[in-house]
Amino acid sequence: MKDYNMTTTRKFSTRLSRRVFLGAMGASVGFSGLPFNLRAAPKSPGRAIAFDSDALILADSTLSRNDGDWSPLPVPTPGDILSLATHPGRPGRILAGLTSGGVALSEDGGYGWEAKSKGLPDAPATAVTVAAAEPDTFYAAILGDGLWKSDDAGQSWALAMDRPWLAKAERDLTALASVDLATGMGGIWIYAGTELGLTRVPDCFCRWQDVQPGDAMDALVSGEPTPMEAPLPGGETIKALVSAPSLPTRLFAALPSGIWDSQDAGVRWSQKLNTRALGVAVHPNNADFVVAITGDGLIESRNGGMNWTALARV
Amino acid sequence: MTRRGWGAAAALVAVIGAAGWIAAAQQAPDEESLTFLGEPVTIAQLELGQEVYAASCASCHGETLKGQPDWRRRNENGRMPAPPHDASGHTWHHADRQLFTITKLGVSAIVPGYESDMPAFEGILSDHEIAAVLAFIKSTWPERERGFQARITAKEGGGS
Ligand code: HEC
Repeated sequence: MKDYNMTTTRKFSTRLSRRVFLGAMGASVGFSGLPFNLRAAPKSPGRAIAFDSDALILADSTLSRNDGDWSPLPVPTPGDILSLATHPGRPGRILAGLTSGGVALSEDGGYGWEAKSKGLPDAPATAVTVAAAEPDTFYAAILGDGLWKSDDAGQSWALAMDRPWLAKAERDLTALASVDLATGMGGIWIYAGTELGLTRVPDCFCRWQDVQPGDAMDALVSGEPTPMEAPLPGGETIKALVSAPSLPTRLFAALPSGIWDSQDAGVRWSQKLNTRALGVAVHPNNADFVVAITGDGLIESRNGGMNWTALARV
Repeated sequence: MTRRGWGAAAALVAVIGAAGWIAAAQQAPDEESLTFLGEPVTIAQLELGQEVYAASCASCHGETLKGQPDWRRRNENGRMPAPPHDASGHTWHHADRQLFTITKLGVSAIVPGYESDMPAFEGILSDHEIAAVLAFIKSTWPERERGFQARITAKEGGGS
């Protein structure tokens, strides 16, 4: 169900709810409502990061690209990018979820952008991902609404699934990752972060469910939820989530408690860093090469998060 | 079932009840025969399946298998509405064994702890009736969905 459908009629409340959304986003993002100079002044650690082949794309109040050195990229509206996604099979393609609503797409490494929001609800796209097995299939999580899908690289969008129901309420998605592992239902998984932790849905959108060991068929044998040995800490917002394209069972998650990784598609997790983390990206060909946005700045690890070094900005 | 068998099945299905919409009756029959849990589906089974569907499933999943309105959106209680059983839904993403388990034991039998308005039909329908109604649902799918579901079922190991 949509938040704004519960008490008011659809047409009227879409406008109303959008204001509520933007208020909420402004509060969490901090600088989006401020005048430009103030917004640019603090060196924000960034809020979304992704690899485009070997280059890094970093979004905060501005957008920048690192092919060895950082250089600024144009962006439709400064401070507007909430989430980023790329695909190793489409170098130069960058999908961005926008605070102002909908998504934008670049096909040239971030130099040119086009709005691709036709059919999407007019609300912030809190998380985006490109289907691992199909680079023209995009997913966008729309605040207060649900998970949307495009099969034609953003030309058109359709609702794929309502938001997950966790602890007696619908929860917005704060992170999305297409994970190239078979579901047993003829497709692959989409993992998602929420304010309460991890969930996932098969790409048939049959239903949201907890991460379980093995594929969906194993549950038939046991009938009971398998207790998790080492889950992510409960009740923490997952700020970002990635699956290594070269090794899909390898996941990294950015949480308030730090960077966590899983070697088995999210069954067991271990903490790789205990500094507040806001974003994480993994290199397309090297599952040990990880870059993270932390409260203290940008850091990278070449050994799967065992050691981290600061990454110079500007 | 042979190709001729299929033609006969389709004709029969078209004759019984208001079944003009049934895809099986509308399009060229499959070369491959329809099976459920590895067993060939018979005409008698399809007939029984259609009756069971009308009596036990149609109230939620719709007389024409279209599901409940706006079925991708949760109800106020947080549960999902009944999805379509035709090609527009996702039933054809599940192997035979999974469909049987969902129908007999409920969705929580495949997703542990999951809360759902889908009833478990154990004790209400016999295994024979459950197989028949699922065979009937499968018989309405277009070739593409039927082939997709056959591959998922085969991967699972002989349809069991
Ligand atoms: C009381 C309403 C109701 C009746 C009657 C009902 N269902 Fe359902 N069914 C549901 C709902 C609701 C769901 C969605 C479950 C969910 O995801 O929470 C569902 C889901 C299913 C699914 C899973 C589909 C998928 O792709 O995940 C199957 C299979 C199914 N029903 C078969 C049947 C059959 C066969 C019958 C008749 C014997 C039947 N149902 C009768 C409500 C009903």
